[in-house]
Amino acid sequence: MTSLPTLLTDGSCAAVRLEARGLSMGYAHSQVIEHLDLLIPPGQVTAIVGPNGCGKSTLLAGLSRLHKPSAGAVLLDGKAIASLPSREVARRLALLPQDASAPDGLSVAELIRFGRQPHQSLLRQWSEQDQAIVDAALAAADLLELAERPLESMSGGQRQRAWIAMAIAQATPLLLLDEPTSALDLGHQIEVFELIRQLAAAGKTIVMVVHDLSSACRYADHLVAMHQGQIIAQGAPSDVVTAELVERLYGVRCVLLQDPLSATPIIAGIQRSTRPTEG
Amino acid sequence: MPRISPPLTAHCVLRLGDYSLLLHRRSSTVALFLCLALLLSSAWILAFGANGLTPWAALRAAFGQGEPMQLLLIRELRVPRLLSGLFSGAALGAAGCLLQTLARNRLATPGVIGIDNGATAFAVASIVAVPTSLAPSALALSGAATAAVLTFALAAGGGARGYRFIVVGIAIGALFGAATNLMLARADIDAANAAYPWTVGSLNARPSQAVWLLGGGLLLGLPAAKLLVRALSLMRFSDSVAIGLGVRLRLMRVLSLLLCVWLTALAVAVAGPVGLIALVAPEMARHLCARHGVPVLNAALCGALLMILADWLGRHLLAPIEIPVGIITAIVGAPYLLWILLRQSSRSSP
Repeated sequence: MTSLPTLLTDGSCAAVRLEARGLSMGYAHSQVIEHLDLLIPPGQVTAIVGPNGCGKSTLLAGLSRLHKPSAGAVLLDGKAIASLPSREVARRLALLPQDASAPDGLSVAELIRFGRQPHQSLLRQWSEQDQAIVDAALAAADLLELAERPLESMSGGQRQRAWIAMAIAQATPLLLLDEPTSALDLGHQIEVFELIRQLAAAGKTIVMVVHDLSSACRYADHLVAMHQGQIIAQGAPSDVVTAELVERLYGVRCVLLQDPLSATPIIAGIQRSTRPTEG
Repeated sequence: MPRISPPLTAHCVLRLGDYSLLLHRRSSTVALFLCLALLLSSAWILAFGANGLTPWAALRAAFGQGEPMQLLLIRELRVPRLLSGLFSGAALGAAGCLLQTLARNRLATPGVIGIDNGATAFAVASIVAVPTSLAPSALALSGAATAAVLTFALAAGGGARGYRFIVVGIAIGALFGAATNLMLARADIDAANAAYPWTVGSLNARPSQAVWLLGGGLLLGLPAAKLLVRALSLMRFSDSVAIGLGVRLRLMRVLSLLLCVWLTALAVAVAGPVGLIALVAPEMARHLCARHGVPVLNAALCGALLMILADWLGRHLLAPIEIPVGIITAIVGAPYLLWILLRQSSRSSP
């Protein structure tokens, strides 16, 4: 993978503030998140972790304006995201949802081309810059060779890289990813996480929901641990992650080791907790 | 390594200063060919008949050049019928393409959501109630509008993807269909005969006001559809992707539905329920365009072509008996529908 050209991060350095204030979200009869406050640290990789049903994907859906909050607000640079025109938000915030699906027969390059749509208009359908950015996004995600291949013919890892490339082509300072590595094997997981680190190194602010706590510790600067719709801990992974936290989150006992490469916490020796977990 | 521009291998860009248009090569070529085919078949259809005109003379007569007898035949009889076929086919093709994209289902057609049946019921009611009714077209239009308004009102606030709209539309359509059958069962034989073309769809002797209204509606509707195409092409992705790329989903869905209803209502006021055009034309357009994008305009062109060819076939297959165009499209369309359903293919989304 090549390093990221400045083209893709233009404007990214103007740090964008994304925050949730008194955010409550839920579905018809159940509140998933209640009165949550969160500030996403600009220019860093934030990982949201927690057990199934803790509200982490719901939080991401709220942050990315996919779902409306039942109370409170998500603020993008101080303005309620719901009140901003959707296209304007799309120029500042790119999203890779978990259920991303594309129409049949679309090639990788065609998919990435759609990432430019928020920047285009009826009479400005394809600028030189659009072309340069799509080329750069293809290169950044190491997809130049595969550009003409139909999406459905590619492996899971390649497809995920293509979707990330589409989000990259949006050239936004903010990138939100919902479980970007959930269906990938180890090698492809590392590929995706390293791409995410590169994007962060180039100045992007990244928020991702991650299932695997060890990966979150290794690749995130800021960890947000959620339990029953509440944030129970946040901060640098090595400060925040303790055996107690893991037990509270997942109801398991574990031994924390240190990754010999990155010196970040690794969860090992996991056992079912004998102590009943709260709730 | 040579500098490649992968996203544009299938496109060409027209640039003028700051402005640029991105054209899909194949779709543009297909549109050109369809226009040519429309022109040729129009000339041929105008010329074809007892009077042995050449297509060129027929075209000239259509634009006011030639002998008085030719002018009368062409301009008073053949041109209005050709125009009603062209317009209603184009409107139904575009409407079908919109609805299929919206519902993400290539079997969704305006006929499914009850607009056709509403138009038929009102037109039949006018003929059955007043034997010498002058305005079945106007009533067909109001019937289509009534069905659409009922469907909109009853489906209000419902389901994200318009499924609720379609289910409500099916129910409304069934009600109107039943009403039509009831009226026909109770009407005397002459009235039932007069109403018959409205139950199958026909281009025979439609009042010119309805045709011009439809032409005007197309003039507004097709550019509007073209404006929606950029958003519609993102609506083929999952909802979350479309929202992430800045599409106002709710607004775009309502606008496309309204446009679809508008085009269908005007078309059925002219041609009656020729629903299968709306099913077949978009599929044909997608096939011709190699499944690229949302081919609203090409679907309109395909619809126009199919409609005038089906009407011509209906008039000459068993001449002098005329088969209504709706029956021809059903004979051609139904096997096509079966073919789609039975074909070994996993590709089911539009």
